[in-house]
Amino acid sequence: MSKIYFEDIAVGDKTISESRTVTKEEILDFAHKYDPQPFHIDEEAAKKSIYGGLIASGWHTASTLMRLLVDNMTNNRAGLGSPGFDDLRWILPIRPSDSLRYESTVIEARKSESRPDMGIVRAEIKLFNQNDEVVLSMKSIGMVKTRPE
Amino acid sequence: MRYWEDFTVGMAMEFGGYEVTEEEVIEFATAFDPQPFHIDKDAAKEHFFGGIIASGWHTGSMCMRMMVDNYLNDSTSVGSPGIEQLRWKQPVRPGEVLHVKAEVLDRSLPKSRPELGFVKFSHTVLNQKDEVKMTMISSGMFLRDPARSETETSR
Repeated sequence: MSKIYFEDIAVGDKTISESRTVTKEEILDFAHKYDPQPFHIDEEAAKKSIYGGLIASGWHTASTLMRLLVDNMTNNRAGLGSPGFDDLRWILPIRPSDSLRYESTVIEARKSESRPDMGIVRAEIKLFNQNDEVVLSMKSIGMVKTRPE
Repeated sequence: MRYWEDFTVGMAMEFGGYEVTEEEVIEFATAFDPQPFHIDKDAAKEHFFGGIIASGWHTGSMCMRMMVDNYLNDSTSVGSPGIEQLRWKQPVRPGEVLHVKAEVLDRSLPKSRPELGFVKFSHTVLNQKDEVKMTMISSGMFLRDPARSETETSR
C-alpha cells in the first residue's frame, strides 16, 4: 500500500476505526503498572467510590485510542511523530468489556514554515463506546511528510 | 491525607526517579503504539530518531505513575476531567531516569458538585540531566474536607 503524504490530506477528511474491547484483566494490569489508584485496581474500593465500580485509567483509555490510530491510520501515513495534543477530555469512564472505536476529522492542514518537507495536521478525535456515547475527545497534532519530488 | 483545600495556588512539588528500560519501552509500545521506532531496534537505528524511543503515551503514563506514588494516593483524588495541553518536547530513551516538577496553577469549585473541587496543575517531566521531555497542563478532582468546606463556598 502506498503511503499517505501531506498533500493527500484535506480539512474535513474523516476516518472511522474498527472496535477494540477493553478487558478487566487489561484494566488491572495497566493500572498496576501506571495508575495504581483504588478505583482502577481494587474492585471492592471501586464499588464504594464515586464511580460505583472498576474503571480504566484515563491513560489506558488514551493509549487504547493510540493503538486504534496506529492500526487504522498512522502506519499508512508518512508520519513524523507528534508534538503533543490539546483539549483531551475524559467524558465517561471505561468499564470492563467496553468496546471502543474512534472517529477522526481533520480540522487543519498547513505546511510547516520552518520545514518545507513537512506539514502539520490537526484533527478532532472522538472515542465512542458500544452504546455510541462519546467517552473521550481530543485535538491531535501530527507531522506528516510532503510528497517527495 | 491531602484534600482539595490543601492544594493551594503556587504550591510546588518535585518527585520521581523512574528508570526507563528498553524492555518496558518495547512492552508498552507493542501493546499500545506499535510503530517501528518504538518496538524494532534495527528499524529505529535507521529512523531519524537514531534509536528506540518511548511512545509519548508511555511517557505520559510514567508521569502518571510518579504522580500517583508521590501525591495522588495520599490524597482524596477522584480522577481527572482532562488535559488542556500536552507537549512531547524531546524523545525519551532507554537508560534515562525521569522526574517531575509540578505546580498548582489554579483551583475552582463546581456549582453542581459541593463534595469536590478542581485543581489545575502544570507537570514537567525531565531526565537526569534536567532536560525537559514533556510538559502538561491538566486538572484533577479532589474531595473536599468536610471540616473545612464551610469556610469556602462555590463560585
